[in-house]
Amino acid sequence: MTRPTITALVVLVGLLLLADLLVVNSALQDVAGVVVDAAILVAAGAALAAGASLVTRRLGDLWRRRGDPIGALLVVAGVAAMLVAGMRPGSSGSDDPAVQWLLAALLIPIGATLFGLLFVSTVAAARRSVAGGSREAVVLVTATTITVLLLLPLAGSIGSWLSDASGWMLGTAVASVFRGLLIGIALLGAVYAARTMLGIGSADE
Amino acid sequence: MPSPADLLGRLVRFIGEVLGASSLRFEIGTTIVLLGVLLVLLQLVARPISRWVTADAAGLAGVGRAMALAAESGTDAVVSLGGGGITRTTDALARLQTIASLPLLGHVARAAARSGVPLRVLVNDPIAASLAAATVDAAHEATATLERQGRTRIVIVGEGRPAIAGLAMTTRARPAAAFAFGSLREEALLHLDGLRSGAGTLTTVSADAAQAPSLRLGGGSALIGPELFQAGADLRSSVDERTMVMAGNRLIGLAVAVVAIGTVLAMAGIIDLGEILVGVARE
Repeated sequence: MTRPTITALVVLVGLLLLADLLVVNSALQDVAGVVVDAAILVAAGAALAAGASLVTRRLGDLWRRRGDPIGALLVVAGVAAMLVAGMRPGSSGSDDPAVQWLLAALLIPIGATLFGLLFVSTVAAARRSVAGGSREAVVLVTATTITVLLLLPLAGSIGSWLSDASGWMLGTAVASVFRGLLIGIALLGAVYAARTMLGIGSADE
Repeated sequence: MPSPADLLGRLVRFIGEVLGASSLRFEIGTTIVLLGVLLVLLQLVARPISRWVTADAAGLAGVGRAMALAAESGTDAVVSLGGGGITRTTDALARLQTIASLPLLGHVARAAARSGVPLRVLVNDPIAASLAAATVDAAHEATATLERQGRTRIVIVGEGRPAIAGLAMTTRARPAAAFAFGSLREEALLHLDGLRSGAGTLTTVSADAAQAPSLRLGGGSALIGPELFQAGADLRSSVDERTMVMAGNRLIGLAVAVVAIGTVLAMAGIIDLGEILVGVARE
């Protein structure tokens, strides 16, 4: 397929989806639905092909004794365990208790352990950034320290003042910066999405 | 045959008649203002660049130097396209960031191809992997370095955001330059820590607002928030484009000043914006 044809296809599909978003029309909705379903099918096919390619490559690594044999074995064994759990006779697929157990007992703890490192990483990154003399990092760490101090659970009038100050800090100062950032992201994201759907690329693409 | 001035006069009269005869709720002046806003939006969509500032905050113009250093040291460069993917079950903004990262990947890939530096591209989605492969192939084609194409690897790290952060943290290879473009969520700091460790330079670009502190603390150059969508324009620096950008910046500054002054006047009770814009006075 030549490049102009692809561009024309992108523009057509983009206009169709935009029109479906703006105009309530059942025929248009059906056509847009077909296009979206086709995209989902292509994505699912690509995912299956990628999975098959991964297993084939890892089996090849094991067969030819190259690369990381332990990693290859773990990948192949993991895929096989999931396939057996989800596709054995009598299994209810992705809702099967065996599949759910594999997810809950293996994947979720691995993810949770990884995210458990975030506290250490954040403190180390803050120390490193301040030590490096980055002006933005110094401002960031100072603001964070002030916010943490304001959130101290103290009793009495000091605690009440700190609570009010933290409320103001989070509701006014932090929220206004954050909302400004979100508005900017939303505006430019919408512009970029419209450009992409209409097939308008930058000069060097 | 009518003169150009005559044609222009007819056109203005025609538009005036159409607006005058319309059943719009707004007056002609307000309608023209609204049409002007629409025109500006269309111009933003269709104009060749989307850049507001002329500073190269993320050092994308210096990618060539980083690649030259990589070539000298005989190491590779790594580009992570974030954890958003394109067909993953995540929000649309995260997936849009992956698409917006492809021109940046193309820029890095062209510099790497010219310098003969192998690239490692990390993705966690097969469609993103195919698009990344196509982008890298196009870079080799554009730089006439097809013989170096086989040295670049597209690595699908597996489903999920922790997987890509885990791989970045545990990989023993030390790249000369590392780039993280696209959606980074709660795993951002782990991801950037892994990429930064041992890398000569680190460039991060993400539009996830909540992770702005992580990008700032991660070290290296960073483009935060909407800058991801503008970064494509940082890759070009012709005089015409810079002039357009600077003119655009001044117009935007003017618009912001008008909005600020209008707001102050409205707050002081000197003018009523509701009456001006929609013809309904404030009660």
